[in-house]
Parts: sequence; C-alpha cells; structure tokens
Amino acid sequence: MTRMLGRRGAMQAAAGAGVAALAGRGALAADVTLAVWTGYPELVPWYQAMAAEYGKAKGTKVTILSTSLREHEQKLAAAVPTGTGPDIFDVGQILGITFIEAGLVKPNPPAVEALLKGGAYRASSVGQFNTDGKTYGVPMLFSTPAMFWNKAFFKEAGIDGPPKTFQDKMVAAKKLTKFDATGKMTRSGMSLRLSGQGSGIAEKFRFILEPAGGTLIVPNGKGKFHQGYDNEAGRNALKYYVDAVQTDKVDDPKVQHDAAAFVAGNTAMLMREAWVIGEIKEKNPTLDYGVAPIPAWGTGPHKTLLQHNGLWVNAKSKNLDVAYDFQVFLCSKEASVKLTQMSGWVAARSDVDWSPLLKEIPQYKEFVSPDAGVQFYPEPVMAAWNEIESRLADKLPGAYIDPNMLDPAKLAAFIKAAAAQTDQILKQNDLYGL
Amino acid sequence: MGHRRSLGRRLGLYACHGVLMLGALVMVMPMLWMLVTAFKSAAEIAILPPVFLPKDWSVANFSGAFETAPFGRFFLNSAFIALVSTASVMATSLVAGTVFAKYQFPGRKLLFGLVLATAIVPFEAYMIPLYVQLVGLEWVNTYQGIILPYLFMAFGIFLMRQHVSSSIPTELMEAGRVDGAGEWWILARVIAPLSGNALAAVGIFAFIQGWGIFIWPLLIANDQLLFNMELGLTQFQFAFSADIGKLMAGSVVSVVPMLIVFLLLRRRIIENMALTGLKG
Amino acid sequence: MLFCYVALLPVVALFFYVRIIPIGFSFLLSFYKWNLISPRRPFVGWDNYLGLMEDENFLLALKNTTIYSFSTVALATMIALPLAVFLSRKSRLSAFYQTVYFLPVITPMVPVAIAWKWIYDYNYGILNYGLSLVGLPSVPWLTDPDIALWALVIMGVWKVLGYNMVLFLVGIRNIPAEYLEAASIDGASDWQRFWRISFPLLRPILLYVIVTSTINAFNVFTQVYVMTLGSQSAPGQAVRMLVFDIYTNGFQFFRMGYASAEAVILTLIVLGLTVIQFSLARDDNVKAG
Repeated sequence: MTRMLGRRGAMQAAAGAGVAALAGRGALAADVTLAVWTGYPELVPWYQAMAAEYGKAKGTKVTILSTSLREHEQKLAAAVPTGTGPDIFDVGQILGITFIEAGLVKPNPPAVEALLKGGAYRASSVGQFNTDGKTYGVPMLFSTPAMFWNKAFFKEAGIDGPPKTFQDKMVAAKKLTKFDATGKMTRSGMSLRLSGQGSGIAEKFRFILEPAGGTLIVPNGKGKFHQGYDNEAGRNALKYYVDAVQTDKVDDPKVQHDAAAFVAGNTAMLMREAWVIGEIKEKNPTLDYGVAPIPAWGTGPHKTLLQHNGLWVNAKSKNLDVAYDFQVFLCSKEASVKLTQMSGWVAARSDVDWSPLLKEIPQYKEFVSPDAGVQFYPEPVMAAWNEIESRLADKLPGAYIDPNMLDPAKLAAFIKAAAAQTDQILKQNDLYGL
Repeated sequence: MGHRRSLGRRLGLYACHGVLMLGALVMVMPMLWMLVTAFKSAAEIAILPPVFLPKDWSVANFSGAFETAPFGRFFLNSAFIALVSTASVMATSLVAGTVFAKYQFPGRKLLFGLVLATAIVPFEAYMIPLYVQLVGLEWVNTYQGIILPYLFMAFGIFLMRQHVSSSIPTELMEAGRVDGAGEWWILARVIAPLSGNALAAVGIFAFIQGWGIFIWPLLIANDQLLFNMELGLTQFQFAFSADIGKLMAGSVVSVVPMLIVFLLLRRRIIENMALTGLKG
Repeated sequence: MLFCYVALLPVVALFFYVRIIPIGFSFLLSFYKWNLISPRRPFVGWDNYLGLMEDENFLLALKNTTIYSFSTVALATMIALPLAVFLSRKSRLSAFYQTVYFLPVITPMVPVAIAWKWIYDYNYGILNYGLSLVGLPSVPWLTDPDIALWALVIMGVWKVLGYNMVLFLVGIRNIPAEYLEAASIDGASDWQRFWRISFPLLRPILLYVIVTSTINAFNVFTQVYVMTLGSQSAPGQAVRMLVFDIYTNGFQFFRMGYASAEAVILTLIVLGLTVIQFSLARDDNVKAG
C-alpha cells in the first residue's frame, strides 16, 4: 500500500516537475485550452483542421468561434479590453492598430519576430506589421484585387485578350455591353461598385485613383497626413466612373453587380480578390474566365491594392506562450497551402510552393505570385482609415449617377469638397499635416 | 332594388377579398421565397433568370446547415432563452403592472414614466456599458448573462397596467381585503386568474423578442455552445458573400417554431383577448 | 405601501441594473471622447453635440428617419384600421387573413430583409415582374436614391401592419354590440356607424398604435443594414437613418462618445414626440368630453 502510494506520489511529483520545467522554458502544457475567434466563417474548416493537428502534436485543446466579419469586430471591441476576449483572433490592420495603441496587443516575441522577418513574407507585408520600430501580429491573408475577365464574351466580341490600360478597358467594355430590345442593359461591360454603403465603395474608387496617380491620403514624412486626390488624378478617376455609367454606358446601377454578376455571366469584367475563384468553382464551374492584372492608367505602372488580415495574440491571454506558439504553427508553410486550398483566400506567406494549386486552378497565378511589374499600394495603418474611406464612400454613389458631374467644373468642385472632408477627419484625429 | 343592392354588395365584397388576397400574397412572399430557396442547390440559386420553384427539391441545405454548426443545440438554446425570458416577463409584468395600476405610493408616476422612457433608448447605445457591468459580475459567456436584460419588458408592464386598471374592479380587491386576504393572495387569486389572456399576449411578445435576440448574445456568448439560432445564422455570412441556401434553411428552421406557437395561440391572443379585454 | 415596495423591489432592482445604470453611463459618455478600446477617455464637454449639429450625415439621418417614421406610421395605421374593420365581421376567411397578415410580426428581420432585397431587385425581383404583368415599367426600387427610402417604408409597413391590425381588432370587438345595434335601428349607415360610434371608441387604441409604431419606426436599423450591404443595394445616403448612423459611428468608426450623443438626441426626439402625441390626444378628449 505505502509503496504504491509512494510510487503514485512520485509519479505525480515528476509529472508536475516536468510541466513546470516545460513552462519554465516557455514551452507547452498539455492542459491548456486556447480560444480562437475569427470573422471569416469560411476559414473555420481550416482552423479546425489546424487545431486538430496541433492538438495531436502538443496536446493543447483549441476552440474556434466564428461570427460574420462586422459582428466579429464588434465582439472583439467589447471583449478584448475587458479581459473577456480570446487568446488569438484574426482581424484587419485597421482594428489591429487600435488594439496595439491601447496596449492590448504586445510587440511580437523573438520567435514570432524571427518568422516575420526571416524571409517568409514579402517586404511589403512585413512593413505593414511594423509600428514605431516594433512588429505586432503576423499577416495571415494576403489580399489583392485583380481583373477577372470572361473569355467567352471576349471571343464573341472579337477582342484578343484582357485590356492592359483603363482606356483600353473602356473601349473593350463598350463592345462587351449588351442591351435588350427596349434598351435595357442586360450585361455590363465592366462591373464597378456603384451603390451601397461603407468603405468598400471608396476602396474600389482607389482601384482607379491609384493607377491614375492619386491617393486618398499622403504622409508628410512626420507622422501626419493630408488628402491626395484633389488633383488631376482624382478628377480623372471620378470622370472614369461617371463616363462608364453616363457617357459610355458600360455599367448601370440597376444591373446585377459584383461576384454574383460575374459568376452568372452578367458582366464581362470585374476587379476583385481571389475568393471569387471559389465562388465560381462552387456555383458555375464551367465558366470560361481568365484573371489579369489591374489595368494601368495610360503609360503608367500597374498598381494594385494590398490588404492584410492579421493574426493577433491578445495581450491579456492567460497562456501567452502557447498562444504565440499556435500563432506560429498557423503560419507554417503547410498551414498556408492548406488555408488557400480550403478557403480560396490567399495565405500571406510568399515562400510557399504554389505549383500544385496553380496546376489545378491556373487562375490563382495573379493572386499568389503577381506579375513582377505590379506595384502594391498598401492600406494606411491608422485607426481613422475606415472613417476616411466610409465618409468618401457616402458621397460617391450619388456622384456616379449625377448628370451634373458631366460638367468638369462641377466634378472638380465635388472632388474638392470630398477631399476637404478627408482633411477634416484627419484634423479631428490629430493626424493632419502638410 | 333590394336584390340589386345585395348584388352590388356582393361584388364589393369580392373586390375586398381580391385586395386582401393580393395583400396576403405580399405578406407571405418573403417567407415563401425563404422556403423555396432553402430547397435549391447553390447553382440553382445563382442562375439567372431565377426560377421560383426548385427543379429538384433538395434537403442538402438543411443537412449542410446542421453539419456546419450544432444547430440542434442552437435551437435548444433559443428555446431555453425564450422560455425563461417569457416566464419571467409574464411574472414581472403581472406584479409591476398591478402595483402601478392599483396602488398609490410616492414615486409611482416617476418610476412608471422611467420604465416607459428607457424603452425608447436604442439598445445599441448602452449595450457596451451593460457588457462592462456583466464582466464585473463574471456573467460573460453564461446563460444568465444572456437572459438577464430580457427578464422584464417595459412593454409588458405597460400592457398589464392597462389591463389591470381598466378591467379588474378595485371592489373585487377590496372584497378580498375585507375577508382578510393579504396583497399577495389577492394578486395570485384575484388578479392573475382574471388576467390570463392579457398575460398570454404579454407572453407572446416576450417569446417573439426572446427568440429573435441577436446583438446582445453576439456580445456576451463566447462559446458556440451558448449560441442561439439567430447567432448561428452568421456562420453562413462570409466576408463578401453568403451561403444563401444554408442561410435560408437555417432561417426556416428558426421561423417554424414561432409559426407553430402563433398558430396554436392565435385564437387565444386575438379572440380571447377581445372577449375579456376592456369591459370594466 | 410596504407591499408595493416589496413587490416592486426585484423588478426595480433589475430595471436599474440593466437599464438605468447603463443608459446613464452611456449618456454620460456623450461628453467624452472614447474609442471603446482605449483606456484613455478625455472629457470634451459639449463637443460631440456641437459636432453633430454640423455633421451632414447626422442631419441627413434625422431627415430620412423623420420621413420614414411619419410615412410608415401613417400608412400602417391607415391600412390597418379598415383591415381590422373588415376582418371583425364573421367570415370563414377572417382567421386565415389574420394569421397571414400577422406573420411578418413574428418573423426575424435579417433573413426576411434578405428576401426583400430579392423582391426589390430591378431585373429579377418578383415585384417588377408583377408590375410587368399589368403593363407597368420596372422600378429601380433600391438603387434609385429617390425611391430607396420608400422601398424601406413599404417594408416597414409590411412588418407592423399585422400588429396594428390585431390591436384594432381587439378594440373593435370590445365595442359593445348594443351601441352598434342601437345605431342601426336609428337608421345609421355602416359608414356613419363607424365614424360616429366605433371610431371615437377606438381612439385610445389609435393613440397607442401611433405611439408604439412611432417609437419602433424611429429605431429602425436591421432593414437599413441589410439593404445597404453589398453592391446590389440601396445607396447609403438615401436610406441613412439615426440608429444606423449611431451604429456606424460607434462600432465602425469607434467614436462611442459621439454615438452616445446621437443616441441622447434620438431619445429626446422620440420622448418629445410621445409627449406631444399624448397631450394632443388629451386635448381631443377634453374637447370631446
């Protein structure tokens, strides 16, 4: 009896010491449960697969909670500051910076910093996760738009391939637009974002503004910003939209738009991110389409937006070491390949061998390894960014369909007023400077 | 003359029914669309021009929804939350409504006014302070945390006050007192039995509210096992698209119980309420 | 007296805990600048309120919400009353109509709003299909900024019509049959009976219907949220309403103090309207009496 008890006691002591030793080395305890929250329900199967693998290797239990994107952000805003949040969460950088500023995300520990700076990511990605010389979080999704084009429609219209400039794009779109006998548009030549609400409208406006040489806000090099579109580029970009709707009539707010329209064959061209490929695969697998770089403005360079969704460890996590370890695990090469295969979103790592995926779906090329000539313009990492984009977005849909905008003076006045509002928001946030 | 007039009346009646039938169609159209869409395949939902009825009625969306997330559990949670809330709202409405209707005490008007006035404030405006309070209680991610704000309903208190003050004679209560009955006895044995139908109406509204809550459980439930149906539906709303088929299948499952409850109690809410209503 | 306090204590305690304290705190927040996440929360006095007075989105939301509310309340009341009068007659179909018209009241808003979006679609929606059957041209219900608000009004009426109908129905059934019979014997027509006897007796319910639907209409949110989501949707400015603007400022731009100030103003407006409605009704009663 005593011997048995003694043995059991000794075993317990040994196990305890082992755990303590592991914890002491910053390694893992098997009895930890990590909570992960995501705003992308479509990533849940991937998260679950990764959690299962990680659990098998380290014994850690991981629970995944998903809600839709906006709801997820709301939940995080309430939970993280009050210490009721998850250990790990994914969220865009705009909210990320708010958490960083509030001290709710800590600078990366050496292991995570080594991963981030070890050549696994593009310099443009790494730069985005830098605040005041320190790195915070890791990029998870690498999201850039490219141009989807319907090959069958192009062939039918006698156009060789995707247009290389926005000017050519308008010409092609005119040939690709279809109307019925009553003059009602039945297929748009290009699908632009013309209606609705929220930052997405301004973001799509930037798809043209940036190649045209403008930008929403310009840094002054001293940590402050001012508007950068009350100029030729800003007017050109707006005029392009206005022409598309009112003069050249290649798009109309009334017809079907966005991915749904491209999948259903109701538009010939669409600028969107990689996830549309998954939509096509699921809903209209026989669609004959290609993906090309976003056109250039005249002789200018090809430019496309770069957005990251980051993976962050909550500073209030009770299991920081395990959380960081799982964060690194989620960013491994193997995990990155699986992420793209399982969800259609492109993983942020650039050192991954994408050839098996490209063999299966060549259309991914423009998203996973964009043309060397394509320049990226990143999302400014500032808390006020959403407000800046959204407030511009409030004004744009009205302008696109306003006949007054055909008058260059009135169009210029519109841009001037919108840009003044951008400066105003920057001032309210103490971010304004020339 | 008389014959012609009745013919005219009859035609008028038919016209009325025609308009009402058209209206009825408008009323059910969104629900019908939900229903038929729930039975369509993803390809059939995306194809245009759309067909109203699915070619092959498929239950794939329903089985898919239940595979994606534990919808059985969500359903039970919805039912539990709605039932507890309903029971509590009925009890608190009966007590508070009676006190406000039949008793005089200092601060009565002010308190009743406050109850009604705070019902006007949009919940979105004060849910964060409420959340912070519940963090202090350590009730985040618990059933009691989800249910707490729904234990009483200003509207229910108002309805019961109206009912008690207009249709329960004070003499009845006085008679009870003369016989030596306590106030609680009067409440339980005089007022409650005469308030069955008004209480049923309050209960129905509480149940509708409790079944449909979304934004509060969204904040407070951190464990999927605490999700209700409405929260579960977010599983099909992706970043820039939605799985419409599964979303609609889930919605159908979430609407059906409300429908059954309503169909079972419709006569009770509408007709019985009218019979006992405001005769006092 | 003691009974009152004992009986009310649990309800009042709960009421203070889940309403008065958080609402009071939220109203207090309207004098602060707070992004929800940061521990910093500087006092800014009346700045949030002054900012709102110059905020074109807030002013637009105020205008849209007012138009939306008055239209929805007026239409939903004016349709519900005759509907209830008709359904109060004994008819085999009455129960059917009651059920169907009440259905929207009990259906959750999010999926139903998605369904409405499809109904309103310019090319493929069933509403335009219906119009085409009777030879009418298609209407861009959502994408036209001048029409989108009215599309939401229709939805709002659809949602509350059944509720108002049931309330009126209860009121009509409560009118003592002797009153109406007496009037019939005096030779009053249906029309006269309604206006001279039923309508005055329905007054309290009418007031109640108007007050509750005004409060609900001013708080409209989910419909706006769904109808402006995505690209095939209503332009945000056309349907910007107060709670939606509060939500955007609070949870999209993380300007919680500013959003709180907006909520205070919304509350005062609705409170003011309710008081006006009650006092108008009281004046009427005094005159009638």
